Amino acid sequence: MSLSSLLLPAVLFFALGVIARLIKSDLKFPPDLAKVLSIYLLMAIGLHGGYELAKADMAIAFQSIIWALILGFTLPVIGYLALVATRKVNPLDAAAISAHYGSVSAGTFLTAIAYLDNLSVEYETYPLIMLAVMESPAIVVGLILAAKARHTLAAREGAVKSTPNEASTEKSNFKEMLRDAFTNGSVVVLIGSMIIGAIAEPSGMDKLKPFIDDIFMGVLCLFLFDMGMVAARRIGDFKQVGIVLAAFGVVMPLVGGVVGVYVGASMLDFSVGGSMLVGVLGASASYIAVPPAMRLAIPEANPSFYLTLSLGITFPFNVIVGIPLYHSLAKVMAG
Amino acid sequence: MISLYAEKMLNIICNETLEARLVCMFKKYGVSGYTIITARGEGASGHLSDMSGFDTNIVVKAILPESRMQVILESIERKIKKGHHLTVYITDVQVITPDKFDKTTD
Repeated sequence: MSLSSLLLPAVLFFALGVIARLIKSDLKFPPDLAKVLSIYLLMAIGLHGGYELAKADMAIAFQSIIWALILGFTLPVIGYLALVATRKVNPLDAAAISAHYGSVSAGTFLTAIAYLDNLSVEYETYPLIMLAVMESPAIVVGLILAAKARHTLAAREGAVKSTPNEASTEKSNFKEMLRDAFTNGSVVVLIGSMIIGAIAEPSGMDKLKPFIDDIFMGVLCLFLFDMGMVAARRIGDFKQVGIVLAAFGVVMPLVGGVVGVYVGASMLDFSVGGSMLVGVLGASASYIAVPPAMRLAIPEANPSFYLTLSLGITFPFNVIVGIPLYHSLAKVMAG
Repeated sequence: MISLYAEKMLNIICNETLEARLVCMFKKYGVSGYTIITARGEGASGHLSDMSGFDTNIVVKAILPESRMQVILESIERKIKKGHHLTVYITDVQVITPDKFDKTTD
């Protein structure tokens, strides 16, 4: 891993955000800025990707979707089993945390694209579809694991069975959660932009070039600057999380990264760049789509655990250490 | 002199993810209006800030007659028992337009 990989302007701005927070600077971004910027970033990457995908092989796109689903459903189960084995969290916390690790972080993915662009490494656009597909399955797995955990805990405590009325409310809440999982904002922006990019007139897309390409890296810098401050705010919660959970926040992305790079290189036969991006999808943990879903679906779980892990530990780890590491791994597996 | 009428104000501090459910509850129990304010602070569920729009808290305020309060509080209690973090308190207020807060649902 070379030092130059850390000297990307976007990564440096992330570090600046962390430092600004640590030195207690009065710097403050407007509320919702990161949300606004992430909508722009997803829109730009979606338009770009959709335009490229219109020319792509649909069979490979279909295979990518299948593998994205497999990763999205499998990684949270691995995370859940590992967390339960540590005996440091109860099964409901384990379900909520692991759902974050099966889903993806668009911010990490976009940083990985900036990294590849900086090194002039080519990559396939299929991982972009995988990004959209992988947002939601982990939420479903989280719900199923939580239902199982509640059942186990209730049996352990000898609790009475839920009444038919309560069971029907739970069922309707479950349906509502499923709908939310598949219609969350990130998925709508990304898939919608990809469709627009695929069907729009090429001349119209050319006019969007300043919006999609020219300002993209600048906006990514601003986004990561803000995210650096958000991540640093979570460092204060580190003590509450404890060393074992903090270690999970580093080990789980490594496991997901290895599995992802393997899937990209061996199962999908992607190039080094494409395999690395699948690795990043496997390694990243959601901090936009999953936390609100888990707050609603598993209110018993401690939000400090999953927010600190995904935002305060895994996101910085992936941005600074993980991405170059998955690139090196992809060079071995797909090179 | 303008007449003042006694009403109750329901105040709820919770995570913004619960907003849709609280609004749904208000509509179900005939609360005629409510105000939602973005908030930040620290409590039993950790530090919450509106910074960057992630994980924001809200304060929900609704004025309603005391006769309507009980059924709403029971609904809120069910949410708390499920594990949701809601800080709820009731304050006495005086209003000049009581009709505004006494919408009939039947």
